[in-house]
Amino acid sequence: MFKFFISFLALFIFLYPSYAKAELPIDKFGQYPILHEGRLKPLDSFARYEILQFAKRENPNDTDPLTWLANALFNPVQAVTEKIFFIDDSVTRHKLGLEERRRPFYSYAELSSGLDKTSAEVMGIIRNTDIQPDKEQRELLEVHENALQYKQILRSFSSVLPLNISLSDEWREKAGLSKTDAVTFAALQKINAEIEEKIRHIVKQKGEDPAKYNLKEQELVSLGFQIKILAEASENNKLFRVIPISMDGNFASPWELMNDGKGSPMAARYMQDWSNLALAWQNQDATKWNAGIQSLENKFHDDQIKNYDVSKLWLEVIYNQFAPFQISIFVFAASFIFACIYFVNYSPIIYRLGVITLGSAIIIQLLGLLFRVYVMERPPVGTLYESILFVGLIAPLLSAYVERVLKNGIGLLSGAITGMMLGILGLSMAGEGDTMKVLGAVLNTRFWLTTHVLCITIGYGWCLLTSILAHLALLGKAFGRVQSDTQDQLIKTMTTHALFSLLFTIIGTILGGIWADQSWGRFWGWDPKENGALLIVLWLIWLIHGKIAGQISQLIWIGGMAFLSVIVAIAWIGVNLLGVGLHSYGFIEGVFWGLAGFAIFEFILIAALMIVITHQGQKNYAS
Amino acid sequence: MTSLVPLLKKYAHKLKHPDILFWMMPFMILLLVVGTVTQKEIGIQRSQEIYFSSFVYMLGFIPLPGGLTLMLILFINLLAKFLFGSDWSWAKSGTIISHFGVLILIIGGGISYFSSYEGYMAIEEGGSAQLVEDYHQRTLVIREDDKIIYESHFENIFEGMAIDQAPFLMTITKACYHCGITRRAEEDQTGWTSPGKFMQLNTMTPNPQDEKNMTGIEFSISGAGDEQDGKYLTFDKFPKPPNIIKNQKTYQIAIERATRALPFSLSLQKFNQEFHGGTDMAKAYQSLLTVTDGDASWPVLIEMNEPFRYRGYTFYQSSFDVSSDKPYTILAVVENKGRLFPYIATLVIAFGLILHLIIRVSGRRKENV
Repeated sequence: MFKFFISFLALFIFLYPSYAKAELPIDKFGQYPILHEGRLKPLDSFARYEILQFAKRENPNDTDPLTWLANALFNPVQAVTEKIFFIDDSVTRHKLGLEERRRPFYSYAELSSGLDKTSAEVMGIIRNTDIQPDKEQRELLEVHENALQYKQILRSFSSVLPLNISLSDEWREKAGLSKTDAVTFAALQKINAEIEEKIRHIVKQKGEDPAKYNLKEQELVSLGFQIKILAEASENNKLFRVIPISMDGNFASPWELMNDGKGSPMAARYMQDWSNLALAWQNQDATKWNAGIQSLENKFHDDQIKNYDVSKLWLEVIYNQFAPFQISIFVFAASFIFACIYFVNYSPIIYRLGVITLGSAIIIQLLGLLFRVYVMERPPVGTLYESILFVGLIAPLLSAYVERVLKNGIGLLSGAITGMMLGILGLSMAGEGDTMKVLGAVLNTRFWLTTHVLCITIGYGWCLLTSILAHLALLGKAFGRVQSDTQDQLIKTMTTHALFSLLFTIIGTILGGIWADQSWGRFWGWDPKENGALLIVLWLIWLIHGKIAGQISQLIWIGGMAFLSVIVAIAWIGVNLLGVGLHSYGFIEGVFWGLAGFAIFEFILIAALMIVITHQGQKNYAS
Repeated sequence: MTSLVPLLKKYAHKLKHPDILFWMMPFMILLLVVGTVTQKEIGIQRSQEIYFSSFVYMLGFIPLPGGLTLMLILFINLLAKFLFGSDWSWAKSGTIISHFGVLILIIGGGISYFSSYEGYMAIEEGGSAQLVEDYHQRTLVIREDDKIIYESHFENIFEGMAIDQAPFLMTITKACYHCGITRRAEEDQTGWTSPGKFMQLNTMTPNPQDEKNMTGIEFSISGAGDEQDGKYLTFDKFPKPPNIIKNQKTYQIAIERATRALPFSLSLQKFNQEFHGGTDMAKAYQSLLTVTDGDASWPVLIEMNEPFRYRGYTFYQSSFDVSSDKPYTILAVVENKGRLFPYIATLVIAFGLILHLIIRVSGRRKENV
């Protein structure tokens, strides 16, 4: 296989510079649209997702993702040696026969023989659907999938890239090539049928032994073999869908045009521009490069391709570069620091700085979410990751309101904590690849996303705020750092927010049941996600009724509300670990230990604070 | 009569006590956690049976109240509280309304539990159907030509069981809820008819996802004549179940899903699916059907999140199958008399909670003033 791939690449060793430096203006290239995973997105996004998937970071070789992509597309011979595959698992490295190195990055060329060696094992894993692959098998599968995907990128434009094939004048003429034109697969396709016919004739006359052929016949058979290699290499290469084939928003990869009969005069015009771009990149010709990009952009405007929205593509590139949800974490962290300092020195300046940073972080978070709503044209709560981002706005926003009412730093602190924690959680849940995913049919409903999912996620946000307020109440009392009137206000506020939490979670849960009734025909199916939402409702009802009826002390009431964070984490994220049920909200592995650690930490923290308070003889809590 | 009132009041006082709710809640939370976590191993359907739709379940060796018991206690406690313990004041009006909403929800749940029926219909494009198949219930069916002469739920089938409703004797030699198929050894092939001659059923551990369980039987036939007597097998969804011919009648023996006939029929005119560009992920799918009820017939469109309701039945676009020449639509069919209760309960609970919050927040403001 590896030999085959190398021989395939050898066909392209022609006209290539040793290394294409990214000296060409690449930004406009990044705004070009590609149909990927059901969505029209800029190449900038595509490049980032792909390199992140292979290398677990966006710039493994200090090259920006777009330059990496352009090089892989237009200079595959060089790209095959770029060390972009991050293989962290030592067992997988051993299986692939890779040498150990400080930074475990490997090139495709280094991987290739290992891929051949392990392909039988991988096929066995894929075929055995009864057994879930273990961690090592998953790692190996991932390497193979990544390699396959990278191979598709490398071969995307092999149909139009210049080939290291010499053609006689006769064939050049038939292929429509002048003496100076580079030979491409697209040109060879024009003469392929005739070549095949001639080879069939030779074989019929002289048999299959090439030794019996004359020189001209040998050259012809060799040419046919090379075309066959190229054609086989192109099978199922559908990743790089950048060529619009009709005005209704259908796109095809260059190879789909050739193999699946999707070509058209319109597609041919775009292919010509891509071909020019490839040559411009190889020759580092900025004038031709810019002209190529401009020509493509003009064509999109003139052809009025459906779903092509230049402002959306531009905004998405800005969004990628700006990374609002990463910035907001830092701004929330700054707000947290100011809030902590404020509780030490009660300085009005520090307080204002805290308010300003909290407000700024909320605005950044809001802008990020608004952008996602604009691009996806739906409420930003279709996936688990999105729901974290949304709660990351709601909880700090509610905290800001608390701060506006109480003006004592409590809302500031709780807003900063929730914003920061949820931001980090979101970052860890973002995974690799596109976070703006298209939704399956059942989730593809704006009405229910707007009602049920928004309602339940607002409930989650409110619960987290309530929990933070409860934590602060416990901390304040345990260490006596908070004045008693502030403490009373804090407990009253927490109680009110507990009721709001119940309101939103109970309505959100019932709305979810109604959605299920509309979609699946049953109101309640004891699905883990439904049960998780019910768990929060039951926890709140238990504590609220226990408090009202006087069955629990105020200390247990506060402790129970503090523990609400764990209940929410289980209901929101934990149930996905079971991988059971109709909700396609997202199955996540590897979160178990994080969740367990969080639950244990919270349990110990809350229990310790309650013990400290009890020991201090705080009668007003214990009574 | 006069002595009954104080007695009722006495019991009502006990039944409405908040201690009942308070001490019941941990059991409910425990039930929810156990019933959810075990789904990974035993699946949702089994978990429902063991935990949520039972009166008692065992946690290790400890018997604990199941979902039905807890819901019954909750309902009685809440009803007693609502009727005899409510503080009928403006300040408590939100709470009372919310409690009333929860009562409606539980009543609706009860009605659904006892009255609802779920099944599915698979209709080929151009074809029609009137039978609704059960998702889970498997039955052994013997048909004389097209008429069912014997039908039994699979739970009642056991090895060694003799069935003599047909003009021959059928003896069950193996019954497995989830069967695996392996090649039958050559030395064991004597007496078997094809395809049982080459394949055999093996009992396997049932899959937590019930739809993946392939239920089957092996059986012997005697008294049907020398050519017909022998050993057979059949299983769920087997396209060619064995036919025994006797007295110029054909007897088909099949494992099927339990069915229920609709008082009308549906025929599939067209099935459409829309994918997200460049993917095989369905963006939407829809079925254009014709309903025929007596002499009347009319078109209906069913799509995701847009079900069709008629004569107490609701039809949902559940799935589809485009692997064969003609596409099949798969519709979930539900008959549920308690369907409207959650809708009403949502409105009542939401109104009650919002009212309670308004009263509470405005009360606090006045307090502050």
